[in-house]
Amino acid sequence: MTERARLSGMSLTPLVSSLVAILMAFVIGGIFLEATGKDALEAYRILIDRGLLSNTGLTETLKKMAPLLIASSGLLVALRAGVWNIGIDGQFMVGALFSAVTGAALVGDVPDPVMWIAAFAAGFIGGVAWALIPALLRVRFGLNEIITTLMMNYVALNVTAWLVKGPAKDPKIVAPQTRQIPLEHRLPKIPGSDVHIGLLVGLVCIILVAILFRSTVPGFMLDVIGRNRRAAVHAGIPVATLMVVALLVSGGFAGMAGANDVFGVQGLFKGNWNPGYGFTAFALVYLARLNSLLIVPFAFFFSFLLVGGDSMARRADVPTYFIELLEGLMLLCFAVAVYLERRWSQRTARAASSDPATTSLAVAGESE
Amino acid sequence: MANDALTPRPPLPDGRGGEPRVEMLGISKRFGPVLANDNVDLTLWPGEIHAVLGENGAGKTTLMNVLSGMYQPDDGQILLDGQPAVIKTPIDALEQGIGTVYQHFTLVPNLSVIENVVLGTKTGFRLDLGNAERQLQTMLADFALNTTPQTEVRHLSIGQRQRIEIIKVLFRGTRVLLLDEPTSVLTPVEVEGLFAILRRLREQGVAVVIITHKLDEALDLSDRITVLRQGRKVGVLDPETLAASDRETSRLRIVELMFGGRPSSEGSDVASGSAAPGETLLTLSAISADGDRGAPAVKNLSLDLHRGEVFGIAGVDGNGQKELGEVIAGQRRSTSGSLAIDGRTLTNQGVSAISRAGIGYVTDDRLGEGSVPGQSVAENAVLKTIGLAPFSRKFWLNRKAIERHAEALIEQFDVRTPSASTQLTLLSGGNIQKLLLARELAMKPKVLVCNKPTYGLDIRTAQFVLKTLREQANDGNAVLLISSELDELLDVSDRLGVMYNGELVAIFERGEFDVETIGQLMLTGRRATGVAA
Repeated sequence: MTERARLSGMSLTPLVSSLVAILMAFVIGGIFLEATGKDALEAYRILIDRGLLSNTGLTETLKKMAPLLIASSGLLVALRAGVWNIGIDGQFMVGALFSAVTGAALVGDVPDPVMWIAAFAAGFIGGVAWALIPALLRVRFGLNEIITTLMMNYVALNVTAWLVKGPAKDPKIVAPQTRQIPLEHRLPKIPGSDVHIGLLVGLVCIILVAILFRSTVPGFMLDVIGRNRRAAVHAGIPVATLMVVALLVSGGFAGMAGANDVFGVQGLFKGNWNPGYGFTAFALVYLARLNSLLIVPFAFFFSFLLVGGDSMARRADVPTYFIELLEGLMLLCFAVAVYLERRWSQRTARAASSDPATTSLAVAGESE
Repeated sequence: MANDALTPRPPLPDGRGGEPRVEMLGISKRFGPVLANDNVDLTLWPGEIHAVLGENGAGKTTLMNVLSGMYQPDDGQILLDGQPAVIKTPIDALEQGIGTVYQHFTLVPNLSVIENVVLGTKTGFRLDLGNAERQLQTMLADFALNTTPQTEVRHLSIGQRQRIEIIKVLFRGTRVLLLDEPTSVLTPVEVEGLFAILRRLREQGVAVVIITHKLDEALDLSDRITVLRQGRKVGVLDPETLAASDRETSRLRIVELMFGGRPSSEGSDVASGSAAPGETLLTLSAISADGDRGAPAVKNLSLDLHRGEVFGIAGVDGNGQKELGEVIAGQRRSTSGSLAIDGRTLTNQGVSAISRAGIGYVTDDRLGEGSVPGQSVAENAVLKTIGLAPFSRKFWLNRKAIERHAEALIEQFDVRTPSASTQLTLLSGGNIQKLLLARELAMKPKVLVCNKPTYGLDIRTAQFVLKTLREQANDGNAVLLISSELDELLDVSDRLGVMYNGELVAIFERGEFDVETIGQLMLTGRRATGVAA
């Protein structure tokens, strides 16, 4: 039933463009590799071998999924409402620092679960705080959030770097970093695996967002705003308020992703630590066509690319940023595929413009 | 000489009485079921200002678009200087000396005046601005433009930009200048300035065409007036006629051509006109509001709507009707005055408060504003009521109730759609309109504001919509019907107001409707004086 498919958001046809785009990116990336004298097939074999088929590779891939899932679920809220939050990275860093400081203050004094919850809350608040400035600028002066959130990334990078050199620094260590959370106080592992429970937090985030858009009034209104802002105004929906909330929520989720990495992987916050999840989150949310549940397989795929790409870089002598190149190619190919898909479906029916991803791509093209 | 400066390729100095510059013969153009131009002739002489007058939808713009190469005529031919010509594109038209200044300007705000003027001219790869600059400097002086060629266009006023638009087409050697509603964006002083320029161009032998629905401007400015009505040319007033008769006679003659001979509408099947007007439901007191460009659009307008009546608002498009509707709906802030619904003052309280107080608003922009194309029919049907029971409880949507509600509306209003879950984009315009109307009526508004609800609909659907509005009033509610279709207003309205330039210039009771007076008010904002019709 098309209705059931639409309601559950699992219509498969729009996926074709995404899959074709990924395939094309690999082909073009392979041509680059061959042109620089590398063995593309061998490189890709290592990529899959190390990122997916080995035990440690799979564990690492699943670990890396957690921050991607958390950040993407927040980003989805913003993008569905037509709010372009390019500031995931900055919000991530501020959230990570907040949670690291909170954790360092509480560790040992309170039960670990309480500390974890406090740390995630602190991460959320940090991310919200960092998104608040662009949100206020937007409401007050109508400044485009694309520019302001992007710029705030650089501010965040330097402010957090300064904070861990000064006020937030662990006084016992020379290096600019916060006090390390001992291993036994970090996030516990999922029973029977080596993967910490951040992955479950990520899945819960995705499910919450899926419920938001499927079954709640605010989700419905955010969708209306994203698809036709003038209709939202006409219908009396509080457009400005909801857009600000969407931006803040996405910032908060990015901050929680930071908390996840502090308590699941790093144990502390270091100066200039920027894993750059923002761009990856953008790519995967778009390839998932703004569909909440589809984010899960795409997050897995991108996580595998990041992990496998590290090994590939070392073993096949490919530059580490080759994975970024692949991601970029995927988005480019995706844009082309969506364009072709639209032309094709315009010829058959008028249905294509209904797809949320294509609509907001078009909106993005129109908004300066 | 100023002459040379204005037109780098100067027109031949043939004054009036020479060969016609353009002859459009038997032009027909059809859009789907609509015959926009039906066998129209138009002759343009050098050194003459020619006004093309007509109501909205009379075919003026279509005719001009045929001449400027935007459309290809289905039938008929165009002669330029006596030679058959084919005009394939607007660029083609420019190259053959036909330049158009559109209502919406085509200048690039961040480029300088000179860059805008030379943009798109064939200069080869190297840009030689020196020569162009000298020409432009004289033209700017001639056009009383106190600006330099290096000024960026965004610093110029609307009136100045329009003159740059004219310079831009003249720079390309235009000998036939088409202007589409050139005064609609101008202040009165700017209008005078524009007219002075057009008169000067006339002396230089340019054939000027202005498309307008402002009768007084046409009479002030033009040597020859062509009147279109429903796609056909219904009359031409040539220079001799215009010179021979006084202004009032010409005016009456044109109104007669545009509006005369309509069947009286009294006794039509949709009309009812319930006896005594009921209590007041909506009161507007001295409301003013600005349009999208910041200029005043509604000026000091007062109006009472009563239970049981359909109040029609007639007027040529762009006289503040849309803004009036938006102010009532709470979508546009009023700058002064007050609005009260059922005795409660709700000025500038926003859409949701006003809608809760019982105002419904059907926008004229069905797809751009009235609906969300990416969503289903059912979702669109509850766009305005999603926060209310039974469609949601607290935060949670009730998809079943939404679906059932949509199905009921589809049934009741005969919306043709495969199902309630169909994408809205797959519906025809008429069915979308029915859905929007159904959506408002389901909220049981005391006052329903409709802006052009029958626009683009087939006759049966249009009749259905009008009948529904009539019933809404008969059930004890009030309807404000904004329309540019005078005929339908005459059919269904109990009272009829005319808007001109943001003001409600007259209100007629049913039975006093006089088409020609209303037509005059629409075109000039005032009644004919002295002469009995």
